[in-house]
Amino acid sequence: MSLDSSSSSSSGDEYIEENPNSNPKMVDERFEVLTLTEPVELESNHRGDGSEIENGSLNRERNGGDEDDDRLRVENQEIFGDAGPSSPSSSGYAGERGSSSATSASRIDEASEIDDNEIREVRNDGSLEGISDSQASSWVPGKRHIDEDDASISWRKRKKHFFILSNSGKPIYSRYGDEHKLAGFSATLQAIISFVENGGDRVKLVKAGKHQVVFLVKGPIYLVCISCTEEPFESLKGQLELIYGQMILILTKSINRCFEKNPKFDMTPLLGGTDVVFSSLIHSFSWNPATFLHAYTCLPLAYATRQAAGAILQDVADSGVLFAILMCKHKVISLVGAQKASLHPDDMLLLSNFVMSSESFRTSESFSPICLPRYNPMAFLYAYVHFLDVDTYLMLLTTSSDAFYHLKDCRIRIEMVLLKSNVLSEVQRSMIDGGMRVEDLPIDPLPRFGSSPHLGQQRPPTDSPERPTEPFIGIGGPAGLWHFIYRSIYLDQYVSSEFSPPLNSPRQQKRLYRAYQRLFASMHDKGIGPHKTQFRRDENCVLLCWVTQDFELYAAFDPLADKALAIKTCNRVCQWVKDVENEIFLQGASPFSW
Amino acid sequence: MGCSSSLPDRSAGRLSGLNNAENSGVPDAKNLRVKLVLLGDSGVGKSCIVLRFVRGQFDPTSKVVTVGASFLSQTIALQDSTTVKFEIWDTAGQERYAALAPLYYRGAGVAVIVYDITSPESFTKAQYWVKELQKHGSPDIVMALVGNKADLHENREVPVQDGIDYAEKNGMFFIETSAKTADNINQLFEEIAKRLPRPSSS
Ligand SMILES: Nc1nc2c(ncn2[C@@H]2O[C@H](COP(=O)(O)OP(=O)(O)O)[C@@H](O)[C@H]2O)c(=O)[nH]1
Ligand SMILES: [Mg+2]
Repeated sequence: MSLDSSSSSSSGDEYIEENPNSNPKMVDERFEVLTLTEPVELESNHRGDGSEIENGSLNRERNGGDEDDDRLRVENQEIFGDAGPSSPSSSGYAGERGSSSATSASRIDEASEIDDNEIREVRNDGSLEGISDSQASSWVPGKRHIDEDDASISWRKRKKHFFILSNSGKPIYSRYGDEHKLAGFSATLQAIISFVENGGDRVKLVKAGKHQVVFLVKGPIYLVCISCTEEPFESLKGQLELIYGQMILILTKSINRCFEKNPKFDMTPLLGGTDVVFSSLIHSFSWNPATFLHAYTCLPLAYATRQAAGAILQDVADSGVLFAILMCKHKVISLVGAQKASLHPDDMLLLSNFVMSSESFRTSESFSPICLPRYNPMAFLYAYVHFLDVDTYLMLLTTSSDAFYHLKDCRIRIEMVLLKSNVLSEVQRSMIDGGMRVEDLPIDPLPRFGSSPHLGQQRPPTDSPERPTEPFIGIGGPAGLWHFIYRSIYLDQYVSSEFSPPLNSPRQQKRLYRAYQRLFASMHDKGIGPHKTQFRRDENCVLLCWVTQDFELYAAFDPLADKALAIKTCNRVCQWVKDVENEIFLQGASPFSW
Repeated sequence: MGCSSSLPDRSAGRLSGLNNAENSGVPDAKNLRVKLVLLGDSGVGKSCIVLRFVRGQFDPTSKVVTVGASFLSQTIALQDSTTVKFEIWDTAGQERYAALAPLYYRGAGVAVIVYDITSPESFTKAQYWVKELQKHGSPDIVMALVGNKADLHENREVPVQDGIDYAEKNGMFFIETSAKTADNINQLFEEIAKRLPRPSSS
């Protein structure tokens, strides 16, 4: 089974319009052609920086398969200062515009004072869970502030609003407050959108002081984000796309027909009880990098363990199951698709969000209609869902509405095999042990054909009695490396290092994700053309991004980190990822392996 | 898409309402198995009734909204030493699933239609389901009308007699229950079991 990498790399893919609407306004989503982009300075900023960044790109010549070519080289150009086209007012990166590499050179000594051995000693004690876990547990699901409406000061002060409304101005969903009380506000939004649409343009961004208002029009459905979080337009638009996708997952795109029959159609009853699904998705925008990377992540497991899980899922897929997916929280253990069927990472994200946020799936096995918007937005599939333990769940998707008993039999078989081959206990262990930690980054490249490297080989066993019990102050990994995300373009998967000190608080972690998200948006901005590296330094951290044909690496360092060392460290991270790829990625999920 | 054609055609037999010891293939009048579907407005207590019956639990703090339909099973023994295995479909009451309800009641041998005695709207909705089943359910389906939340009698808005009358007119079995206090929950399922058609034991 495989994921279609070609469509996943762009964040703003439109959903396929199955039935071209006869209404000329909606024939297609002509964002590029008929677009009112405000403000104008966004445009000029855009152009002005484009060349700068391109000049700054490192020259990476590809000469057929030379391994050294995949190394990030130290070069003199440093890209400073600009947050890219989508957040012109960003304060984050403005600080060091124009500073030279001499600044960082003077810091080399400081940086090299950090002795490698010291870093090795400072180890994560295993008590720190990934952000997803720690944040997910402190986060209370469901809609808050239901009593608010647009007249409440508290409502107006919320940093980020999301709305769904119909093109007749009827509220469908609001992140905060009661939809019905927001009817007037909804009508205002609708008026703005239709005013511009009637002029033949399509409004997509309005800036008002600190606030950005992003619109997304999907046939009869309008989606709006009002935010003062300084996230780039592309990111916010991507989030609206996901919210729309979540709605399609619950209802399919056939709801459009209800609006054709009755423009004043009230959709809220159809979404009854799904507040938690949307609020959990919106929450994941600030902790789950899959929401902007358009890739999924795997639970780290020994190759043989994942193989064992994959084999039994494959067995089941051969008996007429469209997709068989085994997950632990938001991480994939294994997944298999029937011949030629491929699952988009965004669909996986939306499906796992739906299942994890709906408590009902945990009480018993269930069989529910769901739609995968990227797979086929018009049709329901049927999902057999069963939780094997608190965090681990199996999803079997089929096109056949009477397949329940067959899927139930499949699940019983799968569960037996997973128990016998200890997959479930390995999953539990991996949950406790966690994934890659920057402190464990090997100092010297591991011998290519040595004993197989493991993720945490230098770590003491988690149940070791001498493990430090008091919280410690860490300084991250070698060369001030704090964190990294590696996204394999070919596999549509990413791996993110565990959070460790000094990235302790959810707040810091969220800030880092926002920074990555900005980087991602600027690296993927079509207007400035592909560029390959960025190095940004501000008072909070150093961010390094490196994009090749095969992968993207996002790394965060101490603000005092030396540039040359940071680049060297990134090369080591990439080598490390390659060395352990059999444990962190699901292999052989490419479309051509069939 | 299009993998449905390759699905083994084994579901057909299994979906039929009343199935006797299907795995052994030998009809067994002593061990019945029946598909039961719960229908009714969202929030009337369908999931609580099932969880009380299957697991003996009631969690007043739980706010679990059913998605699609949950599947649970429970076997009971009757006085005449027959056993009945209920394969229960607890459906979501939300409107978006209304069109998909046939998926769950198709082939059901028993339909339990639930309303909340404090909510006249839910009683109206129950009548809608009765009509729907009369039109599209199996002709020999056993139907029960259940007025739940009987513990909330101070807030009663649907008189017992209305339930009795409606059930009688439509040839249904009627009972008022409370998932909270467990009142009449087992009785509901026992009465249903007694009313199941028995296979001729020849
Ligand atoms: N007082 C009382 N409350 C009940 C009873 N049964 C269910 N409830 C409550 O009614 C609400 C909805 O119950 P639920 O089983 O989820 O309804 P469903 O949507 O029909 O499945 C929950 O808050 C339950 O606690 C009952 O017998 N008595
Ligand atoms: Mg329920």
